[in-house]
Amino acid sequence: MSAFRDYLSAVWNVLRKDIHVEWRGRQGVPVMLVFALLVVFLFNFALQLSPDLQAGLAAGLLWVSLALASTLGLNRSISLEQENKAMDGLLLAPVDRSAIYFGKVLSNFGFTFLVGLVLLPVFSLFYQQNMFKPLLVLVLVLGLGAYTSLGTLLAALSIQTRTRDVLLPVLLYPLALPILIAAVEASRGILAGQPITDYQSWLTFLLACNILFAAAGLMFFETILEE
Amino acid sequence: MTKKPKRLTLLDILCLILVPAAMVLILFFTPTERVMGPVQKVFYFHVSAAWAGMLSFLLAAAAGAGYLITREQKWDWLSLSAIEVGLVFGLIAILSGMIWAQPIWNTWWVWDPRLTTTAIMELIYLAYFILRSSLDTIESRARLGAVYAIVSAATVPLTFFSIRLFRTIHPVVIAMGGSGGSAFNMTPRMLLAFFSSLFVFTLLLSDLVWHRYRLARLQAVNCGEGV
Repeated sequence: MSAFRDYLSAVWNVLRKDIHVEWRGRQGVPVMLVFALLVVFLFNFALQLSPDLQAGLAAGLLWVSLALASTLGLNRSISLEQENKAMDGLLLAPVDRSAIYFGKVLSNFGFTFLVGLVLLPVFSLFYQQNMFKPLLVLVLVLGLGAYTSLGTLLAALSIQTRTRDVLLPVLLYPLALPILIAAVEASRGILAGQPITDYQSWLTFLLACNILFAAAGLMFFETILEE
Repeated sequence: MTKKPKRLTLLDILCLILVPAAMVLILFFTPTERVMGPVQKVFYFHVSAAWAGMLSFLLAAAAGAGYLITREQKWDWLSLSAIEVGLVFGLIAILSGMIWAQPIWNTWWVWDPRLTTTAIMELIYLAYFILRSSLDTIESRARLGAVYAIVSAATVPLTFFSIRLFRTIHPVVIAMGGSGGSAFNMTPRMLLAFFSSLFVFTLLLSDLVWHRYRLARLQAVNCGEGV
């Protein structure tokens, strides 16, 4: 049992370290947040949205802006470790490397979830409907959980390449598409006030994605980082 | 340069005979579909190409796993070859589907889930080549390529699953029967042509992958590096 406790404490330490770095530097969440808002404005002008159209598109816009913004955070969370070879220090620690992965996933998830929580009231203002619904927060948790599990894995992969972090979106967006589809469909159902049975299967699908991609991270994170 | 194996020559000849034979079977042996007319005959090669594409992506993932376990270069050559050939088959499936869709759906392209996910699958595996080309060492190409091939193949079942969840307009020809068996909405002659083309395309796939594998090995031996 203590081995498991050691594992959890390793995960917690990575997470705590990331929170410390974010708290002192404040360079992750604010950047993601501003970027997400910019995406919303870009879409608004590029698509010439009329007010009645906007309401139906709110769920889609929320997820697109979150998906685009979180790549910034994902890249940063790994590239930060490459600076001054901090990653080598992490890898030298006598813990299972998947613990580093889960710590990173948790911090990435926490930061993007925070961005999502701030976006909800902003979207409610912009699109004249209450988006602060408990079920929508649940979709945020499930969707961003799956997205950051996959994203952390692929960020670790793309940082190994010559092009560094440029590659992440190309790798991440197509693979994350099922997650985005499910998250958008569930959010749309919730915002339209449909009964939960209509979108329940999407929530289950998201849960399955969480498990699948976390398992992939557990299996492959070490393989990706080996030198 | 090793000599071309006899079995590969045999496979070449077999494909050269059987692919035209399957075409003759489709054109002259199968009945013309009552509603859709002759254009329905696209279906045989369309489904076969999609099948061959899926199969080769799964093969690539299996070969990737083989590489990660044994760390032998030959598995990486196989994985790379399967993805390259699979990309071509996927493209054939999409293009032949478009030829069918133009008269039947009255449009070349609809944003139907199955079409979209197939197109996304192509993008996923295109990114595989971008990933490989931006890695410097043979070892890292093989290792990270293997991880990516496996994670990507995990999205293939998600592709299939998403059709069931979405309301799709893509025809489901092979429906799972209620009492265990599967029901085909085809006449016996259609079934014969259908399974023949599936078989022929599987042969063609193995032939092409084999050739590509030999090319990859040749490149590795001659240039002192894998591609």
